[in-house]
Amino acid sequence: MQVIKFEFLKLLKKSRGWLGPILVFILIMIAYPLTVEVSDVELRQSFFSILWIAALLVIMLATEDIFLEDFNDGTLEQYAILQKNLSFIIGSKVFVYWLVIGVPISIIGTIFCVGTTSQTAFGYQILPVLLVSTYIFMNVFSFGNALSLTKGSVLGTLVTLPLLLPLLIILGKVVVAINFDLNYSGFLLLLLGILSIIIMIIPMIISYIIRAHLE
Amino acid sequence: MNALVKAQNLSYKINDKKLFQGISFELLKGKALHIQGENGSGKTTLLRMVCGLTKPTKGDLITLTDKEVCFIGHKNAIKQYLNVEDNLVLMNLNNHHDLQKYLSVFDLDKSLDINIANLSFGQQKKIALLRLFLNKSDLLILDEPCVGLDTNSQEILVDFLKKELANGKGIIYSSHIFLDFNSDSLGI
Repeated sequence: MQVIKFEFLKLLKKSRGWLGPILVFILIMIAYPLTVEVSDVELRQSFFSILWIAALLVIMLATEDIFLEDFNDGTLEQYAILQKNLSFIIGSKVFVYWLVIGVPISIIGTIFCVGTTSQTAFGYQILPVLLVSTYIFMNVFSFGNALSLTKGSVLGTLVTLPLLLPLLIILGKVVVAINFDLNYSGFLLLLLGILSIIIMIIPMIISYIIRAHLE
Repeated sequence: MNALVKAQNLSYKINDKKLFQGISFELLKGKALHIQGENGSGKTTLLRMVCGLTKPTKGDLITLTDKEVCFIGHKNAIKQYLNVEDNLVLMNLNNHHDLQKYLSVFDLDKSLDINIANLSFGQQKKIALLRLFLNKSDLLILDEPCVGLDTNSQEILVDFLKKELANGKGIIYSSHIFLDFNSDSLGI
């Protein structure tokens, strides 16, 4: 719990780290309907593509220096020496980033969803999907950033971006499932299954990558 | 067992360039070992090996302590955008019973609400050194601990290290500034 407290303190005091991505997300969601001339029906159809892509890009932006600062100032070095369980620290760090950035984005995205579709019930179904998918995005991009820690984080995130394409396809299917009242809970369980595997494996892989960078 | 570190025939290569080879030493409790060598000879690499951060290309290194190792390296591991008080929380030193004493000794007690970025290099080094002064380790590994410190602070550091040696702790350090306490030397 102490690690989570420390990560909260670091992230909350660095307002550009969390406020920037949230503002960018809001701007994209506001700017999109203003920049295209479409009817309400067409807007509803294309809204979810913009929602997923905006969430993806904003999480990519948010995780840009998730490990870089700690690597440069020697904090990761101290973690590696003092704490035997580096993967737990990394998992906690990603969790805090999701809590401070991913959760607000999910809530804001849900509000925009209800505003666009004019259906509150749609919001109840889309919120859990957004919460789970942003957490998956956060983990995968953190892995990408760890890969290219000393070579500029954009390279690593670009490499990991294709890993998220299957997830984007599933998210598209979820919207279809919600629209036609099909197997929504099945897709949600599939996303939860992916998340449960990812949160176990990715912090462990990242800890090995970081130890290799420290060496 | 009285030994804290045992190293046998350590070698390290970067690409095809040999940094050092055949280094053997043993560090006993209550003893200090001064790693000496020119710039680029591998002193920092050797210290990082003892910490477990870097693996030797050849040789064996065993650290015989159950407690965490205290390492003061080139990087201070403090956050520039946080104030001194928040950094002490991150270092988990904010509730240490001796904290106030060392803040006063280093004249940092009135700078608690100042951001690290606004402190001098020497003051930042003193905050990083609080990790050493409030350590719970048996083994202290110091890489150029005096860089940026004034003469008075260097004397405080030496007095502290003498006390730690008397308490049976082991110290491995590298320093181009002379530290006046008994230590064995290892040239690389």
